[in-house]
Amino acid sequence: MAVDFQLDELMVIEAARHIRDGETVFVGTGMPMVAGMYAQKTHAPNMCFVVETGPIAPQVLPVPTSVSDPKAMYRAAKLGTLRETLGCLLQRGMVDVGFLGGAEIDQFANINSSMIGTEYDRPKVRFPGSGGANDIASHARRILIITRHERRRFPERCAYITSPGYIDGPHGRKKAGLKSAYPDITVVTDLCVMAIDKSIGRLKVAKLMPGVTLQQVQENTGFAIEGQPQIEIVQIPTPEEVEILRREVDPGREYIGKD
Amino acid sequence: MKEPNANQSQCKIMSAQEAVRRFVFDGALVGVGGQTIGRSAMSIYHEIIRQGKKDLFLVGCNLSLCMDMLVGAGLVRRTECGTGNMERFGTTFAWRRAIEQGKLENEDYSHLAMATRFLGGEMGLPFMPTQSLLGSDILNRKHSTTGKKFELIANPWNPEEKVALLPSLNPDVSIIHAQKADSMGNLIIEGFLAHEPEMIRASKRVIVSCEEIVPSEEIRRYPERTTIAYPYVSAVVLQPWGAHPTGTYRYYSHDSEHIREYQKAAREGGAAFQKYLEHYIFSSSCFDEYLEKVGGLKKYNALRQDMMQLV
Repeated sequence: MAVDFQLDELMVIEAARHIRDGETVFVGTGMPMVAGMYAQKTHAPNMCFVVETGPIAPQVLPVPTSVSDPKAMYRAAKLGTLRETLGCLLQRGMVDVGFLGGAEIDQFANINSSMIGTEYDRPKVRFPGSGGANDIASHARRILIITRHERRRFPERCAYITSPGYIDGPHGRKKAGLKSAYPDITVVTDLCVMAIDKSIGRLKVAKLMPGVTLQQVQENTGFAIEGQPQIEIVQIPTPEEVEILRREVDPGREYIGKD
Repeated sequence: MKEPNANQSQCKIMSAQEAVRRFVFDGALVGVGGQTIGRSAMSIYHEIIRQGKKDLFLVGCNLSLCMDMLVGAGLVRRTECGTGNMERFGTTFAWRRAIEQGKLENEDYSHLAMATRFLGGEMGLPFMPTQSLLGSDILNRKHSTTGKKFELIANPWNPEEKVALLPSLNPDVSIIHAQKADSMGNLIIEGFLAHEPEMIRASKRVIVSCEEIVPSEEIRRYPERTTIAYPYVSAVVLQPWGAHPTGTYRYYSHDSEHIREYQKAAREGGAAFQKYLEHYIFSSSCFDEYLEKVGGLKKYNALRQDMMQLV
Protein backbone atom coordinates (compact mmCIF):
# COMPACT_ATOMS: atom_id res chain seq x y z
CA MET A 1 0.00 0.00 0.00
CA ALA A 2 1.34 3.40 -0.95
CA VAL A 3 1.98 5.67 2.02
CA ASP A 4 1.00 9.29 1.66
CA PHE A 5 3.85 11.50 2.90
CA GLN A 6 5.85 14.59 1.97
CA LEU A 7 9.66 14.70 1.78
CA ASP A 8 9.50 17.39 4.43
CA GLU A 9 7.91 14.87 6.80
CA LEU A 10 10.34 12.13 5.88
CA MET A 11 13.21 14.57 6.56
CA VAL A 12 12.00 14.90 10.16
CA ILE A 13 11.43 11.15 10.57
CA GLU A 14 14.82 10.27 9.03
CA ALA A 15 16.65 12.80 11.23
CA ALA A 16 14.96 11.30 14.30
CA ARG A 17 16.20 7.83 13.30
CA HIS A 18 19.75 9.04 13.99
CA ILE A 19 18.90 9.37 17.69
CA ARG A 20 19.19 6.15 19.71
CA ASP A 21 17.09 5.39 22.74
CA GLY A 22 18.73 6.40 26.00
CA GLU A 23 21.06 8.97 24.46
CA THR A 24 21.53 12.48 25.77
CA VAL A 25 20.56 14.84 22.96
CA PHE A 26 21.15 18.59 23.05
CA VAL A 27 18.39 20.07 20.93
CA GLY A 28 18.50 23.45 19.21
CA THR A 29 15.50 25.60 18.29
CA GLY A 30 13.21 24.99 15.30
CA MET A 31 13.19 21.75 13.29
CA PRO A 32 15.53 19.92 15.72
CA MET A 33 12.90 20.30 18.46
CA VAL A 34 10.26 18.81 16.16
CA ALA A 35 12.46 15.85 15.16
CA GLY A 36 13.58 15.38 18.78
CA MET A 37 9.93 15.22 19.89
CA TYR A 38 9.20 12.67 17.18
CA ALA A 39 12.12 10.49 18.35
CA GLN A 40 10.89 10.75 21.94
CA LYS A 41 7.38 9.67 20.94
CA THR A 42 8.53 6.71 18.83
CA HIS A 43 11.74 4.71 19.18
CA ALA A 44 13.60 6.79 21.79
CA PRO A 45 11.25 7.26 24.79
CA ASN A 46 14.25 7.24 27.13
CA MET A 47 16.29 9.90 25.37
CA CYS A 48 17.46 12.68 27.66
CA PHE A 49 16.28 15.83 25.87
CA VAL A 50 18.38 18.87 26.85
CA VAL A 51 17.44 22.46 25.98
CA GLU A 52 19.89 25.32 26.53
CA THR A 53 17.67 27.55 28.68
CA GLY A 54 17.82 24.91 31.43
CA PRO A 55 15.34 22.06 30.86
CA ILE A 56 16.88 18.62 31.44
CA ALA A 57 14.85 15.60 30.26
CA PRO A 58 11.53 17.36 29.50
CA GLN A 59 8.70 15.50 27.76
CA VAL A 60 8.23 18.24 25.19
CA LEU A 61 4.67 19.21 24.22
CA PRO A 62 3.66 20.19 20.69
CA VAL A 63 5.07 22.50 19.65
CA PRO A 64 7.42 25.04 21.25
CA THR A 65 7.93 28.38 19.50
CA SER A 66 11.21 28.89 21.34
CA VAL A 67 13.71 27.25 23.68
CA SER A 68 12.18 29.40 26.43
CA ASP A 69 8.64 28.12 25.74
CA PRO A 70 7.14 26.22 28.72
CA LYS A 71 6.18 23.50 26.21
CA ALA A 72 9.91 22.72 26.02
CA MET A 73 10.00 22.37 29.84
CA TYR A 74 7.02 20.08 30.40
CA ARG A 75 7.63 17.41 33.06
CA ALA A 76 11.40 18.00 32.96
CA ALA A 77 13.59 16.28 35.53
CA LYS A 78 15.13 19.67 36.26
CA LEU A 79 14.88 23.24 35.09
CA GLY A 80 18.43 24.45 35.51
CA THR A 81 20.66 27.13 34.11
CA LEU A 82 22.34 27.69 30.79
CA ARG A 83 25.69 27.14 32.49
CA GLU A 84 24.55 23.69 33.59
CA THR A 85 23.19 22.61 30.19
CA LEU A 86 25.82 24.15 27.91
CA GLY A 87 28.66 24.04 30.42
CA CYS A 88 28.28 20.97 32.61
CA LEU A 89 26.43 18.54 30.35
CA LEU A 90 27.76 19.70 27.00
CA GLN A 91 31.25 21.19 27.43
CA ARG A 92 32.14 18.49 29.98
CA GLY A 93 31.40 15.92 27.30
CA MET A 94 28.20 14.25 28.51
CA VAL A 95 26.15 14.88 25.36
CA ASP A 96 25.90 12.10 22.76
CA VAL A 97 24.18 14.05 20.01
CA GLY A 98 24.10 17.77 19.26
CA PHE A 99 21.10 18.52 17.07
CA LEU A 100 21.09 21.74 15.04
CA GLY A 101 19.28 23.52 12.23
CA GLY A 102 21.25 25.56 9.78
CA ALA A 103 21.17 28.81 7.87
CA GLU A 104 24.21 28.04 5.69
CA ILE A 105 26.17 24.76 5.67
CA ASP A 106 29.33 24.27 3.64
CA GLN A 107 31.18 21.20 2.31
CA PHE A 108 33.06 20.81 5.65
CA ALA A 109 29.73 20.94 7.54
CA ASN A 110 30.57 24.31 9.04
CA ILE A 111 27.44 26.31 9.88
CA ASN A 112 26.91 30.03 9.39
CA SER A 113 24.09 31.58 11.38
CA SER A 114 25.78 34.98 11.84
CA MET A 115 26.21 37.08 8.72
CA ILE A 116 26.60 37.41 4.95
CA GLY A 117 29.10 39.92 3.59
CA THR A 118 32.73 40.80 4.14
CA GLU A 119 32.58 43.65 6.67
CA TYR A 120 31.86 42.46 10.19
CA ASP A 121 31.08 46.05 11.25
CA ARG A 122 28.53 46.39 8.49
CA PRO A 123 27.36 43.02 7.16
CA LYS A 124 25.24 42.73 4.04
CA VAL A 125 22.80 40.51 5.93
CA ARG A 126 22.82 40.01 9.66
CA PHE A 127 21.49 36.68 11.00
CA PRO A 128 20.70 36.01 14.68
CA GLY A 129 24.13 34.64 15.64
CA SER A 130 25.35 31.53 17.43
CA GLY A 131 23.08 31.15 20.42
CA GLY A 132 24.13 27.79 21.80
CA ALA A 133 24.92 26.39 18.33
CA ASN A 134 28.68 27.02 18.45
CA ASP A 135 28.81 25.30 21.83
CA ILE A 136 26.76 22.33 20.59
CA ALA A 137 28.87 21.88 17.43
CA SER A 138 32.09 22.27 19.44
CA HIS A 139 31.43 19.72 22.17
CA ALA A 140 28.86 17.07 21.17
CA ARG A 141 30.20 13.60 20.39
CA ARG A 142 27.98 13.36 17.29
CA ILE A 143 26.45 16.22 15.34
CA LEU A 144 23.12 16.01 13.59
CA ILE A 145 21.93 18.83 11.32
CA ILE A 146 18.48 19.17 9.76
CA THR A 147 17.69 21.73 7.08
CA ARG A 148 15.77 22.11 3.83
CA HIS A 149 17.92 21.62 0.77
CA GLU A 150 18.31 24.85 -1.18
CA ARG A 151 21.33 25.95 -3.18
CA ARG A 152 21.74 29.18 -1.19
CA ARG A 153 21.94 27.17 2.03
CA PHE A 154 24.83 25.00 0.78
CA PRO A 155 27.70 27.27 -0.37
CA GLU A 156 31.21 26.00 -1.02
CA ARG A 157 32.53 27.93 2.00
CA CYS A 158 30.47 29.68 4.65
CA ALA A 159 30.89 33.46 4.70
CA TYR A 160 31.39 33.12 8.46
CA ILE A 161 31.91 29.97 10.52
CA THR A 162 29.57 30.31 13.48
CA SER A 163 29.63 26.64 14.45
CA PRO A 164 32.54 24.43 13.43
CA GLY A 165 32.18 21.35 11.27
CA TYR A 166 35.52 20.00 10.06
CA ILE A 167 36.57 23.66 9.48
CA ASP A 168 38.95 23.20 6.50
CA GLY A 169 39.78 19.51 6.19
CA PRO A 170 40.12 16.16 7.96
CA HIS A 171 42.18 17.50 10.89
CA GLY A 172 40.60 20.98 11.08
CA ARG A 173 38.93 20.40 14.44
CA LYS A 174 42.00 18.75 15.95
CA LYS A 175 44.21 21.69 14.87
CA ALA A 176 41.72 24.19 16.31
CA GLY A 177 41.94 22.41 19.66
CA LEU A 178 38.45 20.95 19.84
CA LYS A 179 38.30 17.94 22.15
CA SER A 180 35.53 16.42 20.05
CA ALA A 181 38.07 16.25 17.21
CA TYR A 182 36.58 13.69 14.82
CA PRO A 183 32.82 13.56 15.41
CA ASP A 184 30.34 11.91 13.06
CA ILE A 185 28.40 14.70 11.35
CA THR A 186 25.17 13.91 9.54
CA VAL A 187 23.11 16.41 7.55
CA VAL A 188 19.52 15.40 6.83
CA THR A 189 17.61 17.41 4.20
CA ASP A 190 14.45 16.94 2.17
CA LEU A 191 16.59 15.64 -0.72
CA CYS A 192 19.24 13.48 0.91
CA VAL A 193 21.35 12.47 3.89
CA MET A 194 24.97 13.60 3.84
CA ALA A 195 27.67 12.38 6.19
CA ILE A 196 31.22 13.52 6.80
CA ASP A 197 33.85 11.34 5.15
CA LYS A 198 36.50 11.56 7.87
CA SER A 199 39.38 10.86 5.45
CA ILE A 200 38.72 14.17 3.66
CA GLY A 201 36.66 16.06 6.25
CA ARG A 202 33.96 16.71 3.66
CA LEU A 203 30.29 15.83 3.27
CA LYS A 204 29.31 13.00 0.94
CA VAL A 205 25.83 11.82 0.03
CA ALA A 206 25.04 8.67 2.00
CA LYS A 207 21.33 8.30 1.20
CA LEU A 208 18.86 9.81 -1.24
CA MET A 209 15.24 10.55 -0.47
CA PRO A 210 12.89 8.27 -2.45
CA GLY A 211 12.57 9.51 -6.03
CA VAL A 212 15.44 12.02 -5.74
CA THR A 213 18.55 11.72 -7.95
CA LEU A 214 22.15 12.67 -7.21
CA GLN A 215 21.82 15.11 -10.12
CA GLN A 216 18.95 16.89 -8.31
CA VAL A 217 21.03 17.13 -5.15
CA GLN A 218 23.90 18.63 -7.18
CA GLU A 219 21.59 21.21 -8.77
CA ASN A 220 20.55 22.35 -5.31
CA THR A 221 24.02 22.42 -3.79
CA GLY A 222 26.75 25.04 -4.18
CA PHE A 223 29.66 22.61 -3.83
CA ALA A 224 30.62 19.52 -5.84
CA ILE A 225 28.54 16.58 -4.69
CA GLU A 226 30.04 13.16 -4.38
CA GLY A 227 28.20 10.04 -3.37
CA GLN A 228 29.51 7.39 -1.04
CA PRO A 229 30.31 4.15 -2.94
CA GLN A 230 26.97 2.67 -1.89
CA ILE A 231 24.15 5.19 -1.83
CA GLU A 232 21.08 3.92 -0.01
CA ILE A 233 17.51 5.12 -0.39
CA VAL A 234 15.94 6.58 2.76
CA GLN A 235 13.44 4.11 4.15
CA ILE A 236 9.90 5.28 3.47
CA PRO A 237 7.79 5.87 6.58
CA THR A 238 4.99 3.63 7.73
CA PRO A 239 1.45 5.08 7.86
CA GLU A 240 1.75 4.95 11.68
CA GLU A 241 4.94 7.03 11.63
CA VAL A 242 3.34 9.71 9.44
CA GLU A 243 0.27 9.69 11.68
CA ILE A 244 2.32 10.23 14.85
CA LEU A 245 4.17 13.10 13.22
CA ARG A 246 0.97 14.78 12.04
CA ARG A 247 -1.17 14.15 15.12
CA GLU A 248 1.22 14.23 18.05
CA VAL A 249 4.27 16.22 17.02
CA ASP A 250 3.19 19.13 14.83
CA PRO A 251 -0.62 19.03 14.70
CA GLY A 252 -0.92 22.70 13.74
CA ARG A 253 1.71 22.27 11.00
CA GLU A 254 3.67 25.11 12.54
CA TYR A 255 7.03 23.78 11.38
CA ILE A 256 6.48 21.02 8.84
CA GLY A 257 5.42 22.28 5.46
CA LYS A 258 6.70 25.79 6.17
CA ASP A 259 10.04 27.47 5.60
CA MET B 1 28.91 54.57 42.32
CA LYS B 2 26.26 57.05 43.39
CA GLU B 3 24.58 55.02 46.11
CA PRO B 4 27.03 52.60 47.68
CA ASN B 5 24.58 51.20 50.22
CA ALA B 6 21.54 50.67 48.00
CA ASN B 7 21.88 46.88 48.17
CA GLN B 8 21.88 46.93 52.00
CA SER B 9 18.54 48.74 52.28
CA GLN B 10 15.94 46.75 54.23
CA CYS B 11 13.11 47.88 51.98
CA LYS B 12 13.86 48.06 48.29
CA ILE B 13 10.32 48.25 47.01
CA MET B 14 9.93 51.21 44.67
CA SER B 15 8.25 52.25 41.43
CA ALA B 16 9.74 51.47 38.02
CA GLN B 17 10.25 55.24 37.57
CA GLU B 18 12.35 55.52 40.72
CA ALA B 19 14.34 52.33 40.03
CA VAL B 20 15.29 53.47 36.52
CA ARG B 21 16.04 57.03 37.66
CA ARG B 22 18.36 55.83 40.43
CA PHE B 23 20.08 52.81 38.90
CA VAL B 24 20.15 53.18 35.11
CA PHE B 25 22.39 55.94 33.74
CA ASP B 26 23.40 57.08 30.26
CA GLY B 27 26.21 54.87 28.97
CA ALA B 28 25.50 52.08 31.49
CA LEU B 29 26.53 48.47 30.86
CA VAL B 30 23.15 46.75 31.22
CA GLY B 31 22.70 43.02 31.84
CA VAL B 32 19.55 41.74 30.14
CA GLY B 33 17.64 38.89 31.79
CA GLY B 34 15.07 36.51 30.31
CA GLN B 35 15.29 34.65 27.05
CA THR B 36 13.32 35.04 23.80
CA ILE B 37 9.66 34.79 24.85
CA GLY B 38 10.29 34.17 28.56
CA ARG B 39 10.52 36.62 31.44
CA SER B 40 11.74 39.92 29.99
CA ALA B 41 11.23 42.72 32.55
CA MET B 42 9.23 44.81 30.07
CA SER B 43 7.88 47.35 32.58
CA ILE B 44 11.45 48.41 33.37
CA TYR B 45 12.42 48.69 29.69
CA HIS B 46 9.30 50.78 28.98
CA GLU B 47 10.43 53.13 31.72
CA ILE B 48 13.97 53.32 30.31
CA ILE B 49 12.43 54.36 26.99
CA ARG B 50 10.19 56.97 28.66
CA GLN B 51 13.15 58.40 30.56
CA GLY B 52 15.33 58.28 27.43
CA LYS B 53 18.37 56.67 29.06
CA LYS B 54 20.83 56.53 26.19
CA ASP B 55 24.17 55.17 24.87
CA LEU B 56 23.38 51.89 26.60
CA PHE B 57 25.65 48.86 26.24
CA LEU B 58 23.50 45.73 26.46
CA VAL B 59 24.87 42.30 27.34
CA GLY B 60 23.14 38.94 27.72
CA CYS B 61 22.83 35.57 26.06
CA ASN B 62 19.78 35.70 23.83
CA LEU B 63 18.73 39.33 23.46
CA SER B 64 15.13 39.48 22.31
CA LEU B 65 12.20 41.87 22.08
CA CYS B 66 13.23 44.19 24.94
CA MET B 67 16.68 44.72 23.42
CA ASP B 68 15.15 45.26 19.99
CA MET B 69 12.78 47.88 21.38
CA LEU B 70 15.62 49.86 23.00
CA VAL B 71 17.68 49.63 19.78
CA GLY B 72 14.68 50.79 17.72
CA ALA B 73 14.19 53.70 20.14
CA GLY B 74 17.80 54.75 19.44
CA LEU B 75 19.03 54.23 23.00
CA VAL B 76 21.66 51.53 22.42
CA ARG B 77 25.29 52.07 21.41
CA ARG B 78 26.55 48.49 21.63
CA THR B 79 25.48 44.89 22.19
CA GLU B 80 27.54 41.82 23.14
CA CYS B 81 25.57 38.61 23.02
CA GLY B 82 25.05 35.13 21.70
CA THR B 83 21.99 36.00 19.59
CA GLY B 84 19.50 38.66 18.68
CA ASN B 85 16.53 36.48 17.96
CA MET B 86 12.82 35.84 18.52
CA GLU B 87 13.06 32.30 17.11
CA ARG B 88 9.67 31.29 15.62
CA PHE B 89 8.56 34.95 15.66
CA GLY B 90 11.44 35.99 13.43
CA THR B 91 14.66 37.84 14.03
CA THR B 92 15.11 41.01 16.07
CA PHE B 93 14.44 43.38 13.20
CA ALA B 94 15.52 46.74 14.64
CA TRP B 95 18.79 45.18 15.84
CA ARG B 96 19.41 43.53 12.50
CA ARG B 97 18.74 46.74 10.58
CA ALA B 98 20.93 48.86 12.88
CA ILE B 99 23.86 46.44 12.48
CA GLU B 100 23.43 46.21 8.70
CA GLN B 101 23.44 50.03 8.53
CA GLY B 102 26.57 50.24 10.65
CA LYS B 103 24.71 52.18 13.37
CA LEU B 104 25.11 49.64 16.16
CA GLU B 105 28.30 48.01 17.41
CA ASN B 106 27.78 44.31 18.04
CA GLU B 107 30.22 41.71 19.24
CA ASP B 108 29.36 38.02 18.84
CA TYR B 109 29.93 35.28 21.39
CA SER B 110 28.18 31.96 21.95
CA HIS B 111 25.68 31.52 24.76
CA LEU B 112 28.10 29.44 26.81
CA ALA B 113 30.81 32.05 26.20
CA MET B 114 28.54 34.79 27.58
CA ALA B 115 27.54 32.66 30.58
CA THR B 116 31.27 31.99 31.12
CA ARG B 117 31.99 35.74 31.14
CA PHE B 118 29.29 36.29 33.78
CA LEU B 119 30.70 33.35 35.77
CA GLY B 120 34.08 35.11 35.86
CA GLY B 121 32.35 38.33 36.87
CA GLU B 122 30.34 36.77 39.70
CA MET B 123 33.46 35.19 41.19
CA GLY B 124 35.46 38.40 41.12
CA LEU B 125 37.93 37.05 38.57
CA PRO B 126 39.23 38.99 35.56
CA PHE B 127 38.70 36.23 32.99
CA MET B 128 37.37 32.73 32.62
CA PRO B 129 38.30 29.90 30.23
CA THR B 130 36.15 28.06 27.73
CA GLN B 131 36.75 25.50 25.01
CA SER B 132 33.83 26.72 22.94
CA LEU B 133 34.57 29.11 20.01
CA LEU B 134 37.78 27.29 18.99
CA GLY B 135 38.23 27.25 15.20
CA SER B 136 35.21 29.48 14.59
CA ASP B 137 34.94 32.99 13.19
CA ILE B 138 33.60 34.13 16.56
CA LEU B 139 37.31 34.18 17.49
CA ASN B 140 38.59 35.23 14.05
CA ARG B 141 36.34 38.25 13.45
CA LYS B 142 35.64 41.19 15.72
CA HIS B 143 34.17 44.66 15.58
CA SER B 144 36.69 47.43 14.92
CA THR B 145 35.83 49.02 18.28
CA THR B 146 36.42 45.82 20.27
CA GLY B 147 39.68 45.57 22.16
CA LYS B 148 41.24 42.24 23.01
CA LYS B 149 38.39 39.80 22.55
CA PHE B 150 40.08 36.65 23.88
CA GLU B 151 43.44 35.07 24.65
CA LEU B 152 44.23 31.61 23.35
CA ILE B 153 46.52 29.69 25.69
CA ALA B 154 47.86 26.18 26.07
CA ASN B 155 46.56 24.36 29.15
CA PRO B 156 49.52 24.80 31.59
CA TRP B 157 49.05 21.19 32.77
CA ASN B 158 48.57 19.68 29.31
CA PRO B 159 50.18 21.91 26.68
CA GLU B 160 48.58 19.87 23.88
CA GLU B 161 45.22 21.30 24.85
CA LYS B 162 43.96 24.77 23.83
CA VAL B 163 41.81 27.05 25.97
CA ALA B 164 40.24 30.42 25.15
CA LEU B 165 40.26 32.98 27.98
CA LEU B 166 37.37 35.44 27.87
CA PRO B 167 37.13 38.77 29.71
CA SER B 168 34.70 38.70 32.65
CA LEU B 169 31.62 40.91 32.68
CA ASN B 170 30.30 42.96 35.59
CA PRO B 171 27.21 44.87 34.41
CA ASP B 172 26.52 48.27 36.00
CA VAL B 173 22.94 47.17 36.34
CA SER B 174 21.02 44.03 35.44
CA ILE B 175 17.31 43.97 34.74
CA ILE B 176 15.35 40.86 35.72
CA HIS B 177 11.74 39.71 36.01
CA ALA B 178 11.08 37.21 38.81
CA GLN B 179 7.98 35.44 40.02
CA LYS B 180 8.51 36.35 43.67
CA ALA B 181 10.60 38.71 45.75
CA ASP B 182 10.47 39.97 49.31
CA SER B 183 10.92 43.61 50.25
CA MET B 184 14.66 43.12 50.89
CA GLY B 185 15.22 41.69 47.41
CA ASN B 186 15.46 37.98 48.05
CA LEU B 187 14.33 36.39 44.78
CA ILE B 188 12.54 33.23 43.80
CA ILE B 189 12.76 32.59 40.06
CA GLU B 190 10.71 29.66 38.80
CA GLY B 191 11.13 27.75 35.57
CA PHE B 192 14.16 28.11 33.36
CA LEU B 193 17.03 30.22 34.67
CA ALA B 194 19.20 30.64 31.54
CA HIS B 195 22.22 32.85 32.34
CA GLU B 196 20.53 34.89 35.04
CA PRO B 197 21.96 33.57 38.34
CA GLU B 198 25.53 34.22 37.14
CA MET B 199 24.66 37.58 35.59
CA ILE B 200 22.77 38.81 38.66
CA ARG B 201 25.60 37.92 41.04
CA ALA B 202 28.11 39.62 38.67
CA SER B 203 26.18 42.91 38.57
CA LYS B 204 26.85 46.06 40.60
CA ARG B 205 23.14 46.87 40.74
CA VAL B 206 20.08 44.74 39.99
CA ILE B 207 16.54 45.93 39.29
CA VAL B 208 13.94 43.22 39.70
CA SER B 209 10.31 43.44 38.70
CA CYS B 210 8.14 40.71 40.18
CA GLU B 211 4.70 39.20 39.99
CA GLU B 212 4.30 39.01 43.77
CA ILE B 213 5.88 40.33 46.93
CA VAL B 214 6.18 37.57 49.52
CA PRO B 215 6.84 38.02 53.26
CA SER B 216 10.50 37.76 54.29
CA GLU B 217 9.30 35.26 56.87
CA GLU B 218 8.37 32.88 54.05
CA ILE B 219 11.82 33.29 52.49
CA ARG B 220 13.51 32.54 55.83
CA ARG B 221 11.33 29.50 56.46
CA TYR B 222 12.37 27.87 53.14
CA PRO B 223 15.75 29.45 52.37
CA GLU B 224 16.76 26.62 50.04
CA ARG B 225 14.10 27.90 47.62
CA THR B 226 15.78 31.32 47.32
CA THR B 227 17.31 31.69 43.85
CA ILE B 228 19.17 34.92 44.66
CA ALA B 229 19.86 36.39 48.11
CA TYR B 230 19.24 40.09 48.77
CA PRO B 231 22.81 41.49 48.84
CA TYR B 232 22.94 41.45 45.02
CA VAL B 233 19.64 43.27 44.56
CA SER B 234 19.02 47.04 44.54
CA ALA B 235 15.36 47.59 43.62
CA VAL B 236 12.17 45.55 43.77
CA VAL B 237 9.33 46.71 41.54
CA LEU B 238 5.98 45.02 42.04
CA GLN B 239 4.45 44.66 38.59
CA PRO B 240 2.03 41.81 37.95
CA TRP B 241 2.03 40.86 34.23
CA GLY B 242 5.29 42.80 34.10
CA ALA B 243 6.87 40.55 31.45
CA HIS B 244 4.11 41.03 28.87
CA PRO B 245 4.24 40.23 25.94
CA THR B 246 6.82 37.65 27.04
CA GLY B 247 5.60 34.98 29.45
CA THR B 248 6.27 34.15 33.10
CA TYR B 249 6.50 30.48 34.07
CA ARG B 250 3.57 29.34 36.27
CA TYR B 251 1.84 32.74 35.82
CA TYR B 252 1.00 33.41 32.16
CA SER B 253 2.01 32.44 28.63
CA HIS B 254 3.65 34.76 26.16
CA ASP B 255 1.19 36.78 24.05
CA SER B 256 1.76 35.59 20.46
CA GLU B 257 -0.69 38.14 19.09
CA HIS B 258 1.09 41.12 20.62
CA ILE B 259 4.56 39.76 19.79
CA ARG B 260 3.47 39.55 16.15
CA GLU B 261 2.16 43.13 16.33
CA TYR B 262 5.52 44.32 17.69
CA GLN B 263 7.43 42.28 15.10
CA LYS B 264 5.38 43.81 12.29
CA ALA B 265 6.17 47.33 13.52
CA ALA B 266 9.85 46.49 14.04
CA ARG B 267 10.18 44.88 10.63
CA GLU B 268 8.63 47.90 8.94
CA GLY B 269 10.60 50.36 11.08
CA GLY B 270 10.26 54.16 10.63
CA ALA B 271 6.78 55.53 11.20
CA ALA B 272 5.25 52.14 12.05
CA PHE B 273 7.81 51.64 14.83
CA GLN B 274 7.38 55.20 16.14
CA LYS B 275 3.63 54.67 16.20
CA TYR B 276 4.09 51.54 18.31
CA LEU B 277 6.30 53.39 20.79
CA GLU B 278 3.97 56.37 20.92
CA HIS B 279 0.78 54.35 21.40
CA TYR B 280 2.01 51.78 23.89
CA ILE B 281 4.85 53.50 25.73
CA PHE B 282 5.06 57.30 25.45
CA SER B 283 1.32 57.83 25.80
CA SER B 284 1.12 55.44 28.77
CA SER B 285 2.14 56.95 32.09
CA CYS B 286 2.85 53.53 33.58
CA PHE B 287 2.84 49.84 32.71
CA ASP B 288 -0.69 49.30 34.04
CA GLU B 289 -1.98 51.69 31.38
CA TYR B 290 -0.14 49.69 28.72
CA LEU B 291 -1.66 46.47 30.08
CA GLU B 292 -5.15 47.93 29.61
CA LYS B 293 -4.32 48.85 26.00
CA VAL B 294 -3.14 45.36 25.09
CA GLY B 295 -6.30 43.66 26.26
CA GLY B 296 -6.77 44.04 29.99
CA LEU B 297 -8.24 41.30 32.14
CA LYS B 298 -9.80 39.38 29.29
CA LYS B 299 -6.42 38.95 27.61
CA TYR B 300 -4.67 38.11 30.88
CA ASN B 301 -7.15 35.49 31.94
CA ALA B 302 -6.68 33.77 28.57
CA LEU B 303 -2.87 33.86 28.84
CA ARG B 304 -3.08 32.56 32.39
CA GLN B 305 -5.31 29.68 31.26
CA ASP B 306 -2.77 28.84 28.55
CA MET B 307 0.01 28.62 31.13
CA MET B 308 -2.07 26.58 33.57
CA GLN B 309 -2.27 23.79 31.00
CA LEU B 310 1.53 23.58 30.84
CA VAL B 311 2.62 23.54 34.48
